[in-house]
Amino acid sequence: MDAKGDLSEALGHPPAGFQPEMVQTGLSVMGLHAEEAFHEYLRIFFKVPRLAQMTSLARVFDFVATGVPGPRDMLMVGKIAYEERRRESGGRPVWDLIVVDCTSTGQILPQLTAARSMKALVHGGMIRSQVDFVDAVVSDRRRTALCITALPEEMPVAEALDLHDRVVEGTGIALGACFLNRTLEAALSPRQRGLLDRLSAPSNREAVATVLGGGVGALVAGVELADALSRQAQPFARRLALGMSVPVLGIPLVATRPGLATTRAVAAALEGAP
Amino acid sequence: MSATRDRLAQQGSAAGAAAVPAPLSTSLGGLEVVICCGSGGVGKTTVSAALAAAMARTAGRRVMVLTVDPARRLYAALGIRSAGPDAVVVPAARLRRAGIPVRGQLSAAMLDQKSAWDRMVERYAPDRRTARRILASRFYQGISDAFVGSHEYIAMESLYELHEAGEYDCVVVDTPPSRSTLDLLEAPERFSDFVGARLISWLARPSGFGFRAMNLAAAPLMHVADRLLGGDVVGELADFVNDLQSLHAGVQQRARAVGRLLRSSRVGFVVVTTPEQAACAEAEHFVSQLHELSMPLRAVVVNRVWPDCLTDDGAVRAAEAMVDDGRIAAGLGAALGSPVDAAALSAAGRSYSLLAGLAQRDARRLAGLRRLAGVAVTQVPLIPQSVNDLEGLSRVAAEL
Repeated sequence: MDAKGDLSEALGHPPAGFQPEMVQTGLSVMGLHAEEAFHEYLRIFFKVPRLAQMTSLARVFDFVATGVPGPRDMLMVGKIAYEERRRESGGRPVWDLIVVDCTSTGQILPQLTAARSMKALVHGGMIRSQVDFVDAVVSDRRRTALCITALPEEMPVAEALDLHDRVVEGTGIALGACFLNRTLEAALSPRQRGLLDRLSAPSNREAVATVLGGGVGALVAGVELADALSRQAQPFARRLALGMSVPVLGIPLVATRPGLATTRAVAAALEGAP
Repeated sequence: MSATRDRLAQQGSAAGAAAVPAPLSTSLGGLEVVICCGSGGVGKTTVSAALAAAMARTAGRRVMVLTVDPARRLYAALGIRSAGPDAVVVPAARLRRAGIPVRGQLSAAMLDQKSAWDRMVERYAPDRRTARRILASRFYQGISDAFVGSHEYIAMESLYELHEAGEYDCVVVDTPPSRSTLDLLEAPERFSDFVGARLISWLARPSGFGFRAMNLAAAPLMHVADRLLGGDVVGELADFVNDLQSLHAGVQQRARAVGRLLRSSRVGFVVVTTPEQAACAEAEHFVSQLHELSMPLRAVVVNRVWPDCLTDDGAVRAAEAMVDDGRIAAGLGAALGSPVDAAALSAAGRSYSLLAGLAQRDARRLAGLRRLAGVAVTQVPLIPQSVNDLEGLSRVAAEL
């Protein structure tokens, strides 16, 4: 949504537009923008052709729809609900599953509850039935689930838990899972840590250098850093697991360039998750 | 643990931290407003607080750090318990104990969005009755809370108020994480345009004198609006927009004044980022937008930079050998006179190689950012502890 991430690049594909593009068998990708969703909405529900959308009438609605968050969020979520309802000529859904790369954790709730908020404002007119439909899709626990992603750091975990609590207590929207991204395994077990002291001891310096060459000091510092980062993350991971009512799945930190290789590594980690 | 920390601290940061001729807090010393911007999660609040603390080292200088983040991170980092919209002076003794030798004064405040919006309405409404009507409208509640750019607008409005009051020599602003760069930089003009837009004035007077007759577009507009929203909502919305438009003259005047301030030499923007791809891309976007909007970019701060130990060629080779060469453990055991745990050696090698790979990837990205920015790029090394107290802040402040 709003295409701030590199979703297409993550699938080894050039940036995708508003029209779905197949990137591999059974997998399509599209970029969702409020403006494009608005033009499609005008075309479908008001039969306003693209050219006529340049008129003053369309500009007024464009101004409201893309400037005020309620309508803007409704357009975005409404488009997803519309795609969920689309059927092929034989009645089969066009999509078996729609995965949405949403806005950030701190900003997602207004989007998820846009339809419900609009219901409080609009009691009649055509939009009311559309709002009801969108709210029904988002609230249907068999059709929609929210997955929360966090990093093992203080603020991301706090934001994830805050979102979790607000979703559970105030929306009734189903939660699917929580992903803890960029987790770093402890480099060495407590029993193994003595190795670093042996490698860096001044009395062993020459002997170690004959086998490993130079750079042993930097090497030890790097491993200690990895260890420190791993230990630093543990309390946040524990806090997340304790506060979540759904499973927390760890995704390891990978050093490949962002793109298909990273996506495959993450997918492999998820496939192996319990 | 402290030995580890010292060893890490001695390593310095990767990719040549010596690019800055003077500390950042010194080079920004003459400014009256420093605006820290960047994407979410890059440590903007920490950098803002640390920068403000570093600037308050100068004797007699009164520095205020203003955050719009309701998460109260700033207060936690500064060790202040009672968080609120009123400015709080951070006790100098507490700062000194934490290793920040301030000789000036450091204050902090958190923006209260709701009261700032209400103040704005009361200030610009033509009379009390109109102000009361706006404040009571359910549409106002929605706009003040969630209008696209509303947080950014009110942050800029409050900054201007603080600056004009003249109580502080420098105001450091921790900006809200924005949906887009333009939301922040153009918020005053955009909100002014929104309130005063002719397009919106159509909605404001659906039954006004001659409206339907004079404007050919009005009839289809109202037809669609009625069909879409229902007549009662359109009527209520029209009344609200009508009242909102009465604020326009004041909002427009203020927006122009804020725009002038943001482009003046008294102000400096600091773009904060991490070496992560998404954050760097956002930072590059910020830098380009600032140039386009003629707003003064003064520095880029790259937070959480991997230390130099991860780019040491000898260490990289040794780590690879530890993973790939099964004879290394035996060789080391012989050299040291007792067996070496081969599994531990391999795990250590893998661990180093992983971080080294990340450091190399990030170093290339930072080189690109440095070329684009054209200003001082200050690097804050990764601190393997959470920076959520004054001691942590002191370590970041030392880098600035």
